[in-house]
Amino acid sequence: MKQKSYPLRPTGGEIRDLAQPGYYSGFSTLAQKKKWDETTRQVVTERVEKVPPLRFFSSGEAELLTAIVSRVIPQDDRAADRMIPVHPAIDERLFKNELNGFRYEDMPPDREAYRLGLKAIDEMAQKRFHEPFVSLTVHRQELILKSLHDGKPDPAHRIWQRMPVHRFWTLLAEDCVTAYYSHPWAWDEIGFGGPAYPRGYMRLENGLPEPWEVDEQRYDWNAPVDSLSELDEQGAPPEQVLPQAHGSSS
Amino acid sequence: MSFALTTALEQNAERALPKPIGIATTSILEHIRHGCFQRSLCLIVSATSVASGLEVGYEHYKGSYSNPIMYTPVLLSGALAGSSLLGVFSRWGAQVLLRCVSAATLADGVIGFFFHVRGVARKPGGWSLPVTNIVMGPPIFAPLLFGTSAYLGWMASYLRREEELHSVGAKVQEITSTLPGSSDWRRDLRHGRFQKHLSAITILWAFFSGFEALYSHYKSNFRYKAQWTPVLLTPLLMAAAAGAIKSPRIANTALPAVSALALADGAAGFYYHARGIAKRPGGLKKPLYNILYGPPIFAPLLFAACGFLGLLASLLRREREK
Amino acid sequence: MSMLNHHGHRLGSMQTLPAPMRKYADRETVDYCIVGAGSAGGVLAQRLARAGFRIVALEAGPFWDTEKDWVSDERGSHELYWNDLRITGGKDPLALGANNSGKGVGGGSVHWAAFAPRFHPSDFRVYSEDSVGADWPISYWDLKPYYELLEQEIPVAGPAWFPWGDPHGYPYGPHPLGGVGDVLVRGCAKLGLRSVAGGPVAILSASHGDRPHCIYRGFCIQGCKVGAKASTLITHVPDAIDHGAEIRALSMAARISLHDDGRVDGVLYIDRDGNEHFQRARAVIVSGYAIETPRLLLNSACSGHRHGLANSSGTLGQYLMAQAGNVVAGRFDELIRLYKAPPAHALSEEFYETDKRRDFARGFAIQTVGPLPAAFAKQMMNAMGAWGWGLRRVMMDMNHWATIGVLGEILPWEDNRVELAEEKDQYGLRVAKVTFNLHDNDKKLIEFGKKRVMEVMWAAGAEQVVQESRYAHLVGAARMGSDPATSVVDKFGRTHDIPNLFVCDGSILPTQGSANPGLTIQALAARTADYLIKQGDAIFFSNRRDQCEPGIRYDLSPPYTNFKGNPRVA
Repeated sequence: MKQKSYPLRPTGGEIRDLAQPGYYSGFSTLAQKKKWDETTRQVVTERVEKVPPLRFFSSGEAELLTAIVSRVIPQDDRAADRMIPVHPAIDERLFKNELNGFRYEDMPPDREAYRLGLKAIDEMAQKRFHEPFVSLTVHRQELILKSLHDGKPDPAHRIWQRMPVHRFWTLLAEDCVTAYYSHPWAWDEIGFGGPAYPRGYMRLENGLPEPWEVDEQRYDWNAPVDSLSELDEQGAPPEQVLPQAHGSSS
Repeated sequence: MSFALTTALEQNAERALPKPIGIATTSILEHIRHGCFQRSLCLIVSATSVASGLEVGYEHYKGSYSNPIMYTPVLLSGALAGSSLLGVFSRWGAQVLLRCVSAATLADGVIGFFFHVRGVARKPGGWSLPVTNIVMGPPIFAPLLFGTSAYLGWMASYLRREEELHSVGAKVQEITSTLPGSSDWRRDLRHGRFQKHLSAITILWAFFSGFEALYSHYKSNFRYKAQWTPVLLTPLLMAAAAGAIKSPRIANTALPAVSALALADGAAGFYYHARGIAKRPGGLKKPLYNILYGPPIFAPLLFAACGFLGLLASLLRREREK
Repeated sequence: MSMLNHHGHRLGSMQTLPAPMRKYADRETVDYCIVGAGSAGGVLAQRLARAGFRIVALEAGPFWDTEKDWVSDERGSHELYWNDLRITGGKDPLALGANNSGKGVGGGSVHWAAFAPRFHPSDFRVYSEDSVGADWPISYWDLKPYYELLEQEIPVAGPAWFPWGDPHGYPYGPHPLGGVGDVLVRGCAKLGLRSVAGGPVAILSASHGDRPHCIYRGFCIQGCKVGAKASTLITHVPDAIDHGAEIRALSMAARISLHDDGRVDGVLYIDRDGNEHFQRARAVIVSGYAIETPRLLLNSACSGHRHGLANSSGTLGQYLMAQAGNVVAGRFDELIRLYKAPPAHALSEEFYETDKRRDFARGFAIQTVGPLPAAFAKQMMNAMGAWGWGLRRVMMDMNHWATIGVLGEILPWEDNRVELAEEKDQYGLRVAKVTFNLHDNDKKLIEFGKKRVMEVMWAAGAEQVVQESRYAHLVGAARMGSDPATSVVDKFGRTHDIPNLFVCDGSILPTQGSANPGLTIQALAARTADYLIKQGDAIFFSNRRDQCEPGIRYDLSPPYTNFKGNPRVA
């Protein structure tokens, strides 16, 4: 049984135990926190230092959610002490019943949607591989999740007749990426400057780094061989009926 | 000794150049040496104040004229251009009008400097973020730099006109000015004896212009190696000008050499900045926007102006000993 | 009347809330009760207070202290949006919340990206010119002086010459471009399309009174802590308070009360502790935006108005519009760093107008967008189907991507509407149900628009181009018109049914063009205010409906309006 799988260097060798993945080695947004305003510093520091306790999900559900989340936004290349807490953020949102301002008419409320979705995923695992989802290999977990991502649950499950699978997938995946990419360690990974007040930016054009930013240092890496979540070679958008995301206004 | 450079230049010009040009060159040098170049300097002032008027006009347009006082340098540049042009033809224009307008423009530059300092302080973070706010705030020394042409105008107002070089009255004045107790900076100016004075001004202006080059090239991360040249030349020019105050020798050797380099660098910078504007997104299809936000087209010329000041200083006579 | 002290309450990095604010008791009858202190409500309160009226503005959300309440952080800015439950449905359901609905003083203007283009003259005559949509009861020329005035008041930075629609220039100079704007301008230039750089945006390109210059940090839609981006919270509300208006925050309007004489007499609202209050008013203006306005009127149904207040036409809630907001993302070899500079800073309106050679009416604009990491990750999920390692990989490349948006006009359709759902919110009020379907013209327009924008992206040198379907802005649902049978309000925002009940916000727009609606909403609010001031007490005592234009008042602007800004070319 394999619960993790590691990206690979083209020359061979696993990429693992990284304090900071990505192409911006040496860049740290948190190192700049003296330059942030007080309120922002508090909010962001708390996000890093205080991981909210699990209050909404039962321990069994939490274990299942953790396994799912680890495939939706895998962090196997990260060192154990540099893992970004994703499922606690979801648990907290549901515990506080924080809404995003709307619910699709064909969807149950978020809390119920999560409970139903988790149940369906676990039962799909039992039906297809005769094991609970959490015990499956990474590859088998991805097989199940990829079928949800593609909108064609395999095996079929009655819950997906009640709750549109693409909406559940979007709900889950958006919560995962929101938690992951709101974390300063993820900002360091992607080279995002982080909070910027009262100090803003000087170098707006040509991708120039600020004096305190770091220039990109690219290297090649391959997704784990057993992964199903790598992008298509062309990066062509698959023809699927996804609803538009929530997010920014213009 | 104090004429070493000009004498050498004159001899060379007589020998090496075709006769008409050689004569012209020696004549120009003589006019400079004796402070008889008011009309020419007026013409130069007129041209530079048009340029600095354009620059401050568009820079303040970027700043949206959010304070009506931002119109004053634009209007004064126009006035300066007009009065110095008048000074080319009219002695009164040069000696009275130009002097007043120049003084007003210099004062405006100093007032502007305070407003720009205040502008930096009013940015979020104020002076606790000095680097960011100097780079992104109002250009702090630009108002003083803007005074360059005003200063030249003010100087021009004290010079003698070209035709006075060999006039009898001038000769008499020249002699009486050598009498003890008659030493006076105005008289020194009239007779082209202000090498130390102009060297000191060169130090100041080189500092202002070099500082602008430093932070605006820093803003673009010194993407091109050439962006270092004005930053490196500035301390050299300042040192040479400082040396020139102490030593006539340096005034005749290092100062003109470094000044010529600065002049050339400014000219090259002008070319690079123009090219930079053309290479921006939309290029020459968006000329106005790209001049506004591309590399500042007049900035290298201002740097070149420092070189011009240094060169001019080296060609002048030194002040009389008190 | 009591006084409330707001010492040290910050509005942007330099401004503080005027202290103290006047406070009315519930039993006091005010002249106007404005429901919603957002884009329109803020301007209305300011104008009416300056003219000497007694004003209370009820705001469901908090009165922001920008220094304490706002953060320079994407996830931490969740509270700026209307996050309460709404049901969304139809064939093409709209995402609500963060996408288009604000809560708190300043409303949506707190989290708009601040693109502030005017509508084109043709937008007011869509039915006459294209036989689709509707005509406005006013023309562009009625609104033009208000556009010019608001551009001066908030103020708008942009090019000296804006070539589309009614060509004009902007009072504040354009902003420098960021990497995304460079891409838009370069791509458009390659294709021979005109574009404008550095505006028009309601973001300061120079200091303005007690508001500083933009610092290009890219957090516009997270609330501008700097105070450079205009929101009525900092542009009009302080002046309203200075002139005696009360902004009553955390007060959720539940019902507008109708008196026996067929006139409204006040608003029932619920405070932060869940207690009900009744604010008496001689007239009521609803400025709750395109969902909350019809919801409040529908929730205020009473005998004689069984289907909602001011709904004798049956069109209340109908003709809701969103704009197509497809985002086209392109990956470049070189670094872009799209998080720098305001998301809004360059646009092209080359495709704005109807073109007979195309098979659809109306058009679209092309605008820069600048998502921050979480929003960008969601866009990549939708545009590329990215997840897992694929998502991690594409996000590691975020700094190589640029994003440009389509802003496409979707026509007003009867079946796009706001109704009441059976479910109730935390106040026990029925929540809104929003239904949205794309029609044939809309689909063709979106298809065409996204192809054009993808071409721009390719022309700019992208090596990979993907796109995501989404929507932006909400308007309509209480539209204005001359015919009481087909519209809810008249050309000044007065409901056809009730003489002292007004609607003034985005919901009165009959069509929406391909321009961001913020400036138009504020211009309409200033015009309605001028009308109300001109009418004076007649609004409170008479049922007569005077349809004469009031004439613009230039003496009611907030401070720092005059003698600021570049001379206008046009």
